[in-house]
Amino acid sequence: MKTTTIKKKDIAGFLDNILTEYKVFAPVTRDERVVFEEIGAGSEAILDYQNTPMPPKGILFPQTERLFSYRSTKEIPDIVVPSFEEKQQLIFGIRPCDARSFTILDTVFDGDVKDPYYVNRRANTVMISIGCTKPQATCFCTSVGGGPFSEEGSDLLMIDCGDEYVVKVASDKGTRLLEKRGFEDAGKDKLAFVEEVIKKAEASMGPEVETDGLKEKLDKSFNDPIWMQVTDKCLGCGLCTYFCPTCHCFDIVDETVGSAGERIRIWDSCMFPLFALQASGLNPRPTVKERFRQRIMHKFSYMMDDYGKIGCVGCGRCVTECPVNLDIRQVLDKISRSEDIK
Amino acid sequence: MESQGWEPKIVAFLCNWCSYAGADLAGTSRIQYPANVRIIRVPCSGRLNPFFILASLQHGIDGVLVAGCHPGECHYLTGNYSARRKFALLKSLLEYAGLEEGRVQFSWVSASEGVKFAKIIAGATEKIKALGPANKLVKGKFEGALNE
Amino acid sequence: MNEVTKKIREVALKLLQKKKVDLVIGFEKGTLPLRATPCFVRREEEADRLVWNSFCENNLAKYIIRRPERVAIMAKGCDVRAAVELIKENQISREQLVIIGIPCQGMVDRRLVKAELQEREILEVVEKDNELILKGGDFKETLDRNTFLYHSCKTCTHRNPVIYDVLVGDVVEESNVDPYEDVKQFEDQLPEERWEYFSKEFTRCIRCYACRNACPLCYCQECFVDSSSPPWIGKTTNESDTAIFHLMRAFHLAGRCVECGACERACPVGVDIRKLHRKLARDVKERFGYESGVSLEQVTPLATFKPDDPEEFILNP
Repeated sequence: MKTTTIKKKDIAGFLDNILTEYKVFAPVTRDERVVFEEIGAGSEAILDYQNTPMPPKGILFPQTERLFSYRSTKEIPDIVVPSFEEKQQLIFGIRPCDARSFTILDTVFDGDVKDPYYVNRRANTVMISIGCTKPQATCFCTSVGGGPFSEEGSDLLMIDCGDEYVVKVASDKGTRLLEKRGFEDAGKDKLAFVEEVIKKAEASMGPEVETDGLKEKLDKSFNDPIWMQVTDKCLGCGLCTYFCPTCHCFDIVDETVGSAGERIRIWDSCMFPLFALQASGLNPRPTVKERFRQRIMHKFSYMMDDYGKIGCVGCGRCVTECPVNLDIRQVLDKISRSEDIK
Repeated sequence: MESQGWEPKIVAFLCNWCSYAGADLAGTSRIQYPANVRIIRVPCSGRLNPFFILASLQHGIDGVLVAGCHPGECHYLTGNYSARRKFALLKSLLEYAGLEEGRVQFSWVSASEGVKFAKIIAGATEKIKALGPANKLVKGKFEGALNE
Repeated sequence: MNEVTKKIREVALKLLQKKKVDLVIGFEKGTLPLRATPCFVRREEEADRLVWNSFCENNLAKYIIRRPERVAIMAKGCDVRAAVELIKENQISREQLVIIGIPCQGMVDRRLVKAELQEREILEVVEKDNELILKGGDFKETLDRNTFLYHSCKTCTHRNPVIYDVLVGDVVEESNVDPYEDVKQFEDQLPEERWEYFSKEFTRCIRCYACRNACPLCYCQECFVDSSSPPWIGKTTNESDTAIFHLMRAFHLAGRCVECGACERACPVGVDIRKLHRKLARDVKERFGYESGVSLEQVTPLATFKPDDPEEFILNP
């Protein structure tokens, strides 16, 4: 099966059916914001939203995660590892940029060294994404290898065609999910219609961020004073990293009371002042300039070296959420165009 | 021993020169006061870091008392004046946030006020017992991730 | 271009030409509608980047801390108050600073505006007198800017800079609103209700520390959050740790917070942080007769004392 259709009015029922077998995460409205949450009924999911401020990365890579508990009353401490999720889970209604972000997280958590917490969840997760018929002005997914209808990372991609969605099947997981529920192939006509929708959306996207030759430029820019200029206003707060769907740095802390405690993994941020602080007391990234430079270099150069992928999906959240409107697109543009960097 | 209901755990931060000596006097004078209180000696009430109070509450301590020298009698001359200002604001802030009145208290106890010390402990214990176990700011079992 | 923008550019240009300062900190047009962004001008030809509009929401005093050079700063009433406190705390000397004071009519809350338009994407904003003309792909809407000001601006009592070297723009009328009206109303609620309100607020907190970093008075080299010996609070989003983070940050700012609202504006999830800070500001005013950021002479309240400070709260059986 390549494509099928589902009427918008049938979505709630479709999700209710899925809920009998899967844990389902979907966009819901909570306190006037749209967030990804576990739903109890298909009707809770909302379909017409732009994007959640907070990315869904927390579903597979939680902000706080207990790695294990311990009690050290004997010579060898008792360690209790949480049982890994066996229940299937499904993330419904994410945007293609967010679906793609998981493929980037995969390179880190499911590469040469496997993180069992992440890998286990990932294996048990199905992704149904909704393509972007109305990309926002802050979206730049097409500049970093993605697109408003990219299928990368999705098992099924839904495309809004008025009163129904055309569903493109992007993986075997997707096929199995649909076949089990009696969906049938929609045929070539639907595909042609969908191509028009896709073309229109892609054409409406704003100016691209130039990524051709960007890595080479960045590699030469390390000591250039341009970094001082672009980071003058950065607060070093870390908000961009929390809202970024591909940022994955973490810290591990032990919280102990008496003889019992927990080892917990928490989101960390390269923008935090103590991130690179060494035990000797030396901090190789003492100011926001070094830390911001590191962030950009990591995403647009070092990750290319390590994994062959740009560590950014162009979702634009860092642009919208930054308290001082430090715009990553503007920074990259300045560096690309700089004639001083040779 | 008669069966006891729940007994509050109370921590008292006492300054070395006045209030701790006052508590000591209560002891040597054989004045009875509830055994719910655990005393922590600090050099001066002004040394008290507000985090000590918050950490106590976080650990499930039901009430925190702080006592220092009377104004004008501080061994370090002005420590208790600082403590008075800091404490006034901290207590006001915590109670504004919804912490029950009576859980966090401040008093002046001099080295000769053994009786007063015992009275303060007794009164605070009774009040905190009536308030019940601490249930705000207590750090519970870590809840875990979205998926747990 | 409005008059204030014109004048600011002139002032900045002159200061740089005459080498009175090495740097002018102000605002320039943002890359998004409803935004202006901090701007650092070091060369004369850059003076034309500076603007003044209803989106100049950041507290620029944040950027003067421990600067070695002479710096001019475009400062609204609240920014000047923060600068005054920073001068008193020796984070910058008065002589190094040229304060370009700007009487402020309040800043527009971009989130309120976006909520008003629901999910319709705003592509362009034009300001005309007291109107905001918002344009999107298929709509145009006009809003009254005064309905959409930040809460901190609505309760502001120091729109005019308390000190300045140059004043740009006309002095505005100070409001005689009671800035602590809602704090008083909140106090009248039951403790349980108040706790529930804050618990709900803190559940939203994601511990991104944007509030702390946006605050001009939060400049500790090592914040208590980062302390590991001893670890005062945990770093997870545990409710107790998060509550203590906000309570203690507010406490560390007691008598220092100038109620500018930079924290609230930075917060991406809308935690009602200022409700705590303003309670302390009110306490400090009533108990110690101190208002932060209005006088270079008054000593910050927690660095001093009076022998007859109020002690009605002291247990005295």
